[in-house]
Amino acid sequence: MVEPTAVSLQLQIIGVVQTLGLIGIAPLITGIMRKVKARTQKRIGASIIQPYYDLAKLLKKDEVVSDQSSWIFRSAPWIMLISTITAALFVPSFLPFSPFNAAGDILVVIGLFALVRFFTMLAGIDVASAFGGLGASREMMISAIVEPALFLTIFVVSLSLGGTNLTSIASSAANQFASGVIIMPSMIFAVIAFFVIMLAETGRIPFDNPATHLELTMVHEAMVLEYSGKSLAMVQFSQSIKQVILLSLFVNFFVPVGMLTPAIGLSAASTASTALSFLAKAMLVSALVAFAETRVAKWRLFRIPDLLAVAIASSMMGVVFFYFWR
Amino acid sequence: MEVSHEVEALKQADISSAATTSLVAKFQTGLLAALAKKTGGIELLNENEIHVELQSSDSIPEACSYLKQEFQARLAMMICSDERQLGRGFVLRYVFEAKAEARNVFIFVTSELVESRNEKEEKDGNNSDVKHIISFPSIVLQIPSAVLYEREVNDMFGLLPAGNPDTRPLVLHEQWPAEAFPLRKEFDLGTKVKRTLQREYKFTNIEGDGICEIPVGPVHAGIIEPGHFRFSIQGENILNLETRLYYTHKGIEKLAENMKLDQVLLLSERISGDESVANSLAYCQALERIGRLQVPERAVLIRTLCAEMERVYNHIGTLAGMSTDVGFAYGAARLNILKERMMSLNEQVTGSRLLFGINRIGGVGTDLSKDTARLLYISLKTILDDFNLVISHLRTKSSVIDRLRYTGIISRQVAIDLGLVGVAARCAGIDVDTRLDNPYSAYPMLKVDSHHDSPQHSTQYSVEMQKRVGDALSRFDVRVEEVNDSIRIIRDLVTRLLDDGSKSLAAPRPSSFEPYSHALGYAESHRGQTLHWVMVGSDGNSLYRYKVRTASFVNWPAIEQAVLNDIVPDFPLVNKSLDLSYSGNDL
Repeated sequence: MVEPTAVSLQLQIIGVVQTLGLIGIAPLITGIMRKVKARTQKRIGASIIQPYYDLAKLLKKDEVVSDQSSWIFRSAPWIMLISTITAALFVPSFLPFSPFNAAGDILVVIGLFALVRFFTMLAGIDVASAFGGLGASREMMISAIVEPALFLTIFVVSLSLGGTNLTSIASSAANQFASGVIIMPSMIFAVIAFFVIMLAETGRIPFDNPATHLELTMVHEAMVLEYSGKSLAMVQFSQSIKQVILLSLFVNFFVPVGMLTPAIGLSAASTASTALSFLAKAMLVSALVAFAETRVAKWRLFRIPDLLAVAIASSMMGVVFFYFWR
Repeated sequence: MEVSHEVEALKQADISSAATTSLVAKFQTGLLAALAKKTGGIELLNENEIHVELQSSDSIPEACSYLKQEFQARLAMMICSDERQLGRGFVLRYVFEAKAEARNVFIFVTSELVESRNEKEEKDGNNSDVKHIISFPSIVLQIPSAVLYEREVNDMFGLLPAGNPDTRPLVLHEQWPAEAFPLRKEFDLGTKVKRTLQREYKFTNIEGDGICEIPVGPVHAGIIEPGHFRFSIQGENILNLETRLYYTHKGIEKLAENMKLDQVLLLSERISGDESVANSLAYCQALERIGRLQVPERAVLIRTLCAEMERVYNHIGTLAGMSTDVGFAYGAARLNILKERMMSLNEQVTGSRLLFGINRIGGVGTDLSKDTARLLYISLKTILDDFNLVISHLRTKSSVIDRLRYTGIISRQVAIDLGLVGVAARCAGIDVDTRLDNPYSAYPMLKVDSHHDSPQHSTQYSVEMQKRVGDALSRFDVRVEEVNDSIRIIRDLVTRLLDDGSKSLAAPRPSSFEPYSHALGYAESHRGQTLHWVMVGSDGNSLYRYKVRTASFVNWPAIEQAVLNDIVPDFPLVNKSLDLSYSGNDL
């Protein structure tokens, strides 16, 4: 449908709008997850648009920056935000394609995430507070296992749906679904692995507790503990965007229901329906993640590798099944 | 029914007094043999206090280690009082409990510190600036749990525990001038001391490859009180933890010396807001002992009922906190709802969510109407059902149980050495519960738990106790059991109150108490044994000395031991499972 070499201006605009839309709904998804968590805990909870207010409030606030910190601490929020927004450009979300797919595939997205993580860890260590260092060392431990698991899972998806190009993955997922294949056996294992990885990457229970106030137990929050004001807004926003990117990957890889297929073609009606179905699916999956979070306690730190090993094993099974069922 | 209970209680009292008499005899012969002529005399006071007066402070360690070895006595508290105005000098009282030998008895080893040595030093020193150091022999080497008491005495009275390797300031921090001793009588309450920073507090230094220190606090995230924790870690493993408290030291003991007895009652309720009943009960009982007041039965029932309500809402709160700290927000939310229901029930029944204003000297201040009693009876049933439902739900969550099991282990030996009390001690296999060991109030006629009602159950219980690991899971289980027991006790008490037709709520209060008489009051708060020692002042209506020892004071050091096998992220859970109060410690 989309020729990678010739991207018309119109498509470029569509791509930018799609990216902006994805970034725009990122705080909303965070809000929905918080709301679901609150409701399952018999609380009323804040409004689902509260994260927007939070960001607006933080942007207005002054910053306190430790005089012990270097340029790394000050530039890290920018790097985090810019990297995640760049990653969002390559991700098909509302539409099953991204016009910029020639510039970056899924490996680039993962690489950008690694960059974000790297600078978050550096910033945590840079301020020389005890908690930042602790958080960074925990993050390193977790990411050393998450990343191989993530790559293995991506391989399963690439094998099953052809290539690492996100647009081709998404459109072949949509095609396959349209041709009656609900899910491939190898993809079932990839779903399990990807779900676990998504929880780990977004720092959710059982890996990390985003709602805790206990510095000693934090992972991600410990690294960004020193941020305030605009920098904190950027850090939080980039975290939300990262979360929504992972959600849209999940939705577009594994739940291609109601997605526009190349055969139908791009029209106003089909675009609207596919965008709406994406929004609905994203919200549903985020609610599911939040619900899953309330059903377990945070695991012991040194048991987390066990859970990630499950993800690795599951994606290995996916590879095996892919070759068996051909 | 009631009569038989009374008879039983009387019988028990008889037995215990007989046991006390025989213990006095045994103790007297033993101590006389052991210490030759070093004891000044042994007397029995307030029914269950055996006071042993030592002739010289030099024999304190000898007497204390004799008690520990021969009677398996546990140091319950150490009291120092400045009785120089009474012509005595500083007086040290070591309070022991010897449960193995005799229940319901406290042994006081009393020794006076004479200042003669001090005068000699003054003569020797040519410099007139030489400090007046009065010292007493430390018993830390024999009884490790004495270390905090001795440091406290050193801070507050300026008496040096000779031989104690750790004489760093405990209560008073660096800013406090080294020569100001607040609990000496010459220190006026209104004194404004100059803040200085001459002293430096040295934390234990742990050095080695890859070992770093994490300072946490004193200001914490969340709405909790201040305390400083200094971790030495290697990776995630905790090599050492040092706690530093007393950031909110309120000077309760000094304040009380300038107050009327009834004002001190209000003060005692505010020592730690969530232990208001236990603290005021211990205080009132001390004075009731001095005045030999007969508290009316109805008051006894109401007191005990409130003490148990306090236990229930606090235990539920702690369980909710543990659930929060393992990141299981659902369980925490459900348990916090139950805690809130308990607290509004508190308000409906007594008019105070935190159960303030219940106890009076000689009785209670609030009555329970028949309607509220019935309401309490019914509400507690539904609360208990919901509670057990939530708990059974928590128990099926493997992720929750996995976090609790083998986390924050306190071994039996550590518990003995530190003289732990309350849930922490019971989980480490030590059968200590003031309600059973020194039955007070309505407890003699109640079935406190199902472990001590028959010899068979007692044996079973002691076997079960040996198996307890002392981890967070066992503290979770014991708290759940105690909530169930307490609610059963409350419902039992409500039935008794409904049967009880009497109206009297308080014994007539004497206009004044005998000057300089003293007694020990005790109660079991949800944190453990709470001891209040009072000495009435010269006018018989104020206090000369008020010494409070809460369970938190004894149990705080346990956390330093409990975390040693754990990793840093488990610390908040260990802390919560021990349920320690900052306010109850920072008197």
